[in-house]
Amino acid sequence: MITELSPTDTQPTTPRRRVLLLPALAVLAVVVLSITSLFIGVSDVSISTLLSDSSDGTAGRILLISRIPRTLAILLTGIALGVAGLLMQLMARNKFVEPSTVGTVESAMLGILVVTILVPAAPLLAKMGVAAVFGVAGTALFLLILQRVPLRNTLVVPLVGIMLGGIVGAVTTFFAYRFDLLQSLNSWMVGDFSGVLAGRYEFLWLVGALAVVGYIAADRFTVAGMGKDFTTNLGLNYRGVMALGLVLVSLISAVVVVTVGAVPFLGLVVPNLVSMLIGDNVRRSVPWVALLGAGLVLVCDILGRLIRYPYEIPVGTVLSVVGAATFLYLLLRSRRNVA
Amino acid sequence: MSPDTLPAAVRARRRTPLKTLGPGTWILILSVAVAALVVTFMTIDLKGNLGYVLPLRANKVAAMLLVAYAVGISTVLFQTVTGNRILTPSIMGFDALYILLQTFLAFTIGTQALMTMGAGTRFILEVVLMVGFSWLLYRWLFVGGGKSLHLVLLVGIVFGTLFRGISSLLQRLIDPSEFVVLQDLFFASFNNVDSSLLGVSALTILAASIAGWRIRNRFDVLALGRETAVNLGVNHRTTVTQVLVICSVLVAVSTALVGPITFFGLLVASVAYQLCSVFRHRYVLPIAVLLGAIALLGGQLTLERIFGFDTALSIVIEFIGGIVFIALLLKGSVK
Amino acid sequence: MKNPGKLSVLAALATAALTLSACGGSADADSNSGGTTEGTNSSATVTVEHAQGSTEVPANPENVYTFDLGALDTLDSLGVDVTGVPEAAFPESLAAYASDEYTKIGSMKEPDFEAIAAGAPDLIIISGRTADSYDKLSEIAPTIDLSVDQAAPIESFKEISTTLGEIFGQEDAVADRLAEIDSTIGEANENAKNAGTGLVILTNAGEITAYGAGSRFGLIHDVLGVQTAADVKAEGSHGESVSFEFIAEANPDHLFVIDRDAALGESGEAAAAVLDNELVNGTTAAQNDQIVYLDAASWYLVGYGLGNVEAMVSSVNDALAG
Repeated sequence: MITELSPTDTQPTTPRRRVLLLPALAVLAVVVLSITSLFIGVSDVSISTLLSDSSDGTAGRILLISRIPRTLAILLTGIALGVAGLLMQLMARNKFVEPSTVGTVESAMLGILVVTILVPAAPLLAKMGVAAVFGVAGTALFLLILQRVPLRNTLVVPLVGIMLGGIVGAVTTFFAYRFDLLQSLNSWMVGDFSGVLAGRYEFLWLVGALAVVGYIAADRFTVAGMGKDFTTNLGLNYRGVMALGLVLVSLISAVVVVTVGAVPFLGLVVPNLVSMLIGDNVRRSVPWVALLGAGLVLVCDILGRLIRYPYEIPVGTVLSVVGAATFLYLLLRSRRNVA
Repeated sequence: MSPDTLPAAVRARRRTPLKTLGPGTWILILSVAVAALVVTFMTIDLKGNLGYVLPLRANKVAAMLLVAYAVGISTVLFQTVTGNRILTPSIMGFDALYILLQTFLAFTIGTQALMTMGAGTRFILEVVLMVGFSWLLYRWLFVGGGKSLHLVLLVGIVFGTLFRGISSLLQRLIDPSEFVVLQDLFFASFNNVDSSLLGVSALTILAASIAGWRIRNRFDVLALGRETAVNLGVNHRTTVTQVLVICSVLVAVSTALVGPITFFGLLVASVAYQLCSVFRHRYVLPIAVLLGAIALLGGQLTLERIFGFDTALSIVIEFIGGIVFIALLLKGSVK
Repeated sequence: MKNPGKLSVLAALATAALTLSACGGSADADSNSGGTTEGTNSSATVTVEHAQGSTEVPANPENVYTFDLGALDTLDSLGVDVTGVPEAAFPESLAAYASDEYTKIGSMKEPDFEAIAAGAPDLIIISGRTADSYDKLSEIAPTIDLSVDQAAPIESFKEISTTLGEIFGQEDAVADRLAEIDSTIGEANENAKNAGTGLVILTNAGEITAYGAGSRFGLIHDVLGVQTAADVKAEGSHGESVSFEFIAEANPDHLFVIDRDAALGESGEAAAAVLDNELVNGTTAAQNDQIVYLDAASWYLVGYGLGNVEAMVSSVNDALAG
């Protein structure tokens, strides 16, 4: 039986210099990746074309309209999904869950589908709102079921979530099939930044803000994860904290699904990696989760842009390969620890 | 996990209304219902050339009974060895693998070639690939002393996500007119099963059943959990591996025959547990199979007579199966 | 697997084999346009070579069931009565077939074998989605698989139309229609010479897939002669995922757009919203108002029928002519 994924609890006492060095390096890496991302794409944007006037400012325009928005969208998505995964794991007290394995993403997708069918011309904001409401409902249902499952074994929790996601997915497929929207559904199912332009990603700032809220309230979620009685004894409003977490996670998922599509594994892999690196102090790990999430999505999207240049491979597909490999590694590693 | 280790006497006292009938009685009732449905299915609205219509219907009934048998048995056994009633073999990435295979073929050789490839070739390819995949999964994970079945499951799930990620990409790029042909393959269909494949499937399923029959006495012991089973002198690891291989053969054959059905097994197994006052495989297995037959025959009848083929049966079954399962989870009756 | 060479052999065979084998060898069972072979039980048959072999089909069959919308479109425009069609979401041009006067023979994918057997058709036409029911349907009545060969769609379409003309004694009408289509294609090729470059894209939930030669939409380049703006090397029946930058960089003079989300709402409306951005608006196509929204129904629902191909080819030609 697996009990925990965390490393041995004996934290090596790090010398002060390393404490400063590591974060600095991580931040630097993300900055370098972001700058790289600005200069990768089909149009010719480079330092020389930006400075020369021969291209009558085309390069500069592309940078403003397409590259900078895309890079920002990647950063915001990575940060928010990492944090959402961490919050979900704290609330379910389980290392193997994230929004895409508890039915949140599938529910949000069902929401989008419902809006698309009923009001095809609905503005993006309406789609997001409905997707978020569905996401909240789906996640709440998951937590509700979780409370009813007697033995909350480490692996039963994600299984319940995955089954729930599968069931919601079946409902979505049913309606998509009836309305000939299966192929459109595929576009939402695979996260993709190829459609991001100035004016088409701004909602992701909201997601960034939600991640900050998550950071501020991080400790409360740790407490809430300990159970209702424990939380109440500490004088915290258990229901309030759980509701806040639900709304945060669902909103983040819904906005990301509507603007770029589903991005699998990120919320699962990143918090687990961070917990392996620096242990389980939530307050300390949130910034790390944000950095690592942003870095990972950046790497995957840059890869997706380069592998079949000038065509793209959606970031969702790259991540599902990278994420699957990482997740398997984590699983097997934890098995060795137990053995 | 939490097998019901209470002595039978205690359990008997906690009967729900459904369980007031003995399992033997239920088997009888369900058998009669299945027989009635089969007769209805064969005789309703008979018109035209009987020499053509009757074999056609017999073919459909045979396909449905085979699938009900394969899915019912494999799900219950799988849940027994994993000690978990939320799982089905298809969650191990089977369905996703099937869909990836179809998508990949459509993407590379085109749907026209795929549709006229010959059912036999496609069938063999699918069965070999799926059994091979699950065998590798168990092999890899059981070697090296990791006894965790749950790990096998999680790895299966991860593979499922990976397969789906790749399929989605390919499906997105495919020409819409081709996609329409491809999407038909994602939904199970009993209407057009190749009769030559029925025989092959029946034989394969029979072989798996014989293998299962020979270890039938260990099923109830396995359900008591690993520790107890080992104390009772069962070679746990070997038996579990045997059961898993049997399950994967059953699932692979049924998927290759009609297409993927994810929650169908979950539905019949959950209801079977509800009906069975005593958890004994000799009762649970037949009840699950009979329930499956009722669901498929009834579903197909409704679909043909009321909706006029408007919707694929599997989608409806998934839909209902999912809802029933969530209801059972919420009631806390699925452990 | 199909080898490309096989098709031309098939074509030669088809024309050679399309003989009318009348009983007693009298060749007077002539079936020119409107050729009247008396009654349904006429002994005249036509041997049809199709995607899955060859089938003896009665000449001028009266009771015809078709699963293929392309064939339905062809027969519809030839004025031939079809008696059985599947339950389908018929596009506007074929909306009449949704009515109850036509025998419903299953869904687009699942033939209702019993209804078909009861209806005793003289001929069943299938294609792509129903191709794997060929054996079962052949037991009921002569069945032909009129799937269009995606490798050479236009040639394949012409053969199929000719075949249908032979079966229904409408060779002349079909030949006229094909000649008309050919002349439109010729015109389009002329116009394409001065029309600059073109790029075919499909919009799907806010994302873009570009299609090159070889796909169903590739005929814009392959057959109608529009120069490719970007070297999209799509082989076979799929496109490639691209960004808006790709469109800006390719800078096509004509942008042909298929709206995948058109199943709901107005065709092209959703696509127009997706394409209304600075990068696309900077292209020549947008500047000169040469973004062409192709009708989704005719480009991927109906497929290769006489009336529909005419509509497809004309829509591109009109766009090129400006």
